[in-house]
Amino acid sequence: MCLRNLLRRRLRTSLCILGVSVATVFIVAVGATTTSYVTTIRGMNMFFTGDLVVVAEGAMVVQAFPVMGGNLPVSVVERINHFEGVKRVVPMLVRFGYHVEAVIQLAPSNVSIGMPPGNWSVLVGHTPLHTGGNWPSADSDKKEVVVGPSLAKQYDFAVGSEVTIEGTNLTIVGILDSRSALLSRSIVLPLELARALYYPDPMVSWIGNMAVVELEEGETETEVAREIEADVLGVEALTTEERNEIVEPLLQDIETWNLGLSSVLYLLSMILVTMVAMMNVSERRRDFATLDAIGAPKGSIFRIVITETMLIGLLGALGGIVLGSLAAILIASVYTNVPLSMFLFDLFSIVSPLFMVQILASTVFVSCIAGVMPAVAASKRNIQEVLRAEY
Amino acid sequence: MIVKTKDLTRTYRLGASIITAVNGVSLEIEGATFASIVGSSGSGKTTLLNLIGLNDQPTSGKILFKDRDTSLLTDRERRRIRLRSIGFVFQNFNLLPTLTAQENVELPLALAKTPPKLQTEKAINLLEAVGLNERLKHRPKELSSGEMQRVAVARALANDPSLILADEPTGELDSETGHEVMELLLDLCREHKTTIVVATHDEGVAKAADVKYSIRDGLIKRETG
Repeated sequence: MCLRNLLRRRLRTSLCILGVSVATVFIVAVGATTTSYVTTIRGMNMFFTGDLVVVAEGAMVVQAFPVMGGNLPVSVVERINHFEGVKRVVPMLVRFGYHVEAVIQLAPSNVSIGMPPGNWSVLVGHTPLHTGGNWPSADSDKKEVVVGPSLAKQYDFAVGSEVTIEGTNLTIVGILDSRSALLSRSIVLPLELARALYYPDPMVSWIGNMAVVELEEGETETEVAREIEADVLGVEALTTEERNEIVEPLLQDIETWNLGLSSVLYLLSMILVTMVAMMNVSERRRDFATLDAIGAPKGSIFRIVITETMLIGLLGALGGIVLGSLAAILIASVYTNVPLSMFLFDLFSIVSPLFMVQILASTVFVSCIAGVMPAVAASKRNIQEVLRAEY
Repeated sequence: MIVKTKDLTRTYRLGASIITAVNGVSLEIEGATFASIVGSSGSGKTTLLNLIGLNDQPTSGKILFKDRDTSLLTDRERRRIRLRSIGFVFQNFNLLPTLTAQENVELPLALAKTPPKLQTEKAINLLEAVGLNERLKHRPKELSSGEMQRVAVARALANDPSLILADEPTGELDSETGHEVMELLLDLCREHKTTIVVATHDEGVAKAADVKYSIRDGLIKRETG
């Protein structure tokens, strides 16, 4: 009955559903994009917890990784290695964005990470390799690398395939079995090989652009960091807390803006649904008066109006979620340069089912709220006045 | 006694002036009778029917429905009486346009929580009784005025009410169709032993009534003979 009531004014109902859908598209697309971005950035901070990250002063660091500027000389790493309380220093050369088969990748979609062989666990923890793979040989002349699963899938890499970086052909000897956004888009290679690729000039004394400092048991990050910064000029030693502090305000701002945008869109949807429902109620006052006259419980008239607005919200939300999800993977595809087809088969990694359910529930809830005023208006209508006006 | 009113008065405020639509009306309507209330437009017929049908509250006076003082009833109880004990036939039919003829008749049954199977059975029987067995799935806009009023009559009888209130039931119909609808309404009410009160300005309809009242400027008078 409610659906038929809505279909009485097909154009109006369709436009209203379209309005709710458009709002939902934005909520889903922006929400999913920011959520996956924030999750990726937060995920990056899962690395090196409890360790110090040393970078050149002025380098731009996003969570644990330098994304721009600053290199570390070999001497700095050697010096830090001799600090009291330092267990191990692992230098790394991290590059965001690189060329794969002439396709330019945009940061932070792809990362190449050079690190000393044998220290892989500092970066990847307990992440295994897919069956049949090995870690790169310490002999950098062999030019061996391991790649993340997303890269392997996109470029159809397997063990034995070749990848070209900076004009050099490298052999893939292993594929990481990881769901980490960073690792799945990474090429991990021996530090010497990375240095040869990115610092080909033999006169350059850079060892990398960051160093992970593991501490002895009982040592506090803050104290060792203070000592390093005091004794070694031109470096910053970032504790886990400091690394969080760098990006957390930015991430919170992103989330606040996302929430604000969603709230405004929900409000606009609510106003739209309320207006349409008020028009419907006003036009159907005789129907409601008739229902009242034949003894329909007051709640049933209320329920009819709420059900109608709920249906608008439901249909709008379903349309919006489908289109919004497509928009979200399109944005992800453009942003990361990963083909759309790859995301289509992995849609739920960008727009999670829980997020979809949340949006559906929120939109339906907002539509129900939007129906309250018209529903009250319909059920409080003076039946006697209305019926008399019709005679 | 189905309905009894005592000094029933209903006034309205219209801008600065107060209109007395019903003025000290006292009447008694017995069970299984056909009563007519005759009056010209604006005489207070509709207001009186709305009061008797518990759609409106009197400014003063009392309405007794089956010896119960309706002024003491809650809104919920009044609705319950309207649903189960009173049937309404309106001049403009007031069928719900999105529902089929059958669904319109099923509506009061559904509201009264009649089992779905029984709803369908009863609606079909009533529509057959009003001669619309071929029009069950038609919506109001696909029906003629006479057919719509027949559906309205079937709907009014759905919950086996003890009282039917019909406000100008032939007002929108041509004389022949109007006559047919009135005959049908009276036949069905006799068959179901239902009391019927018809407000009309049609003397022809009024003549057929067992009890006849005339109303003018809110004042009612029982006609004799």
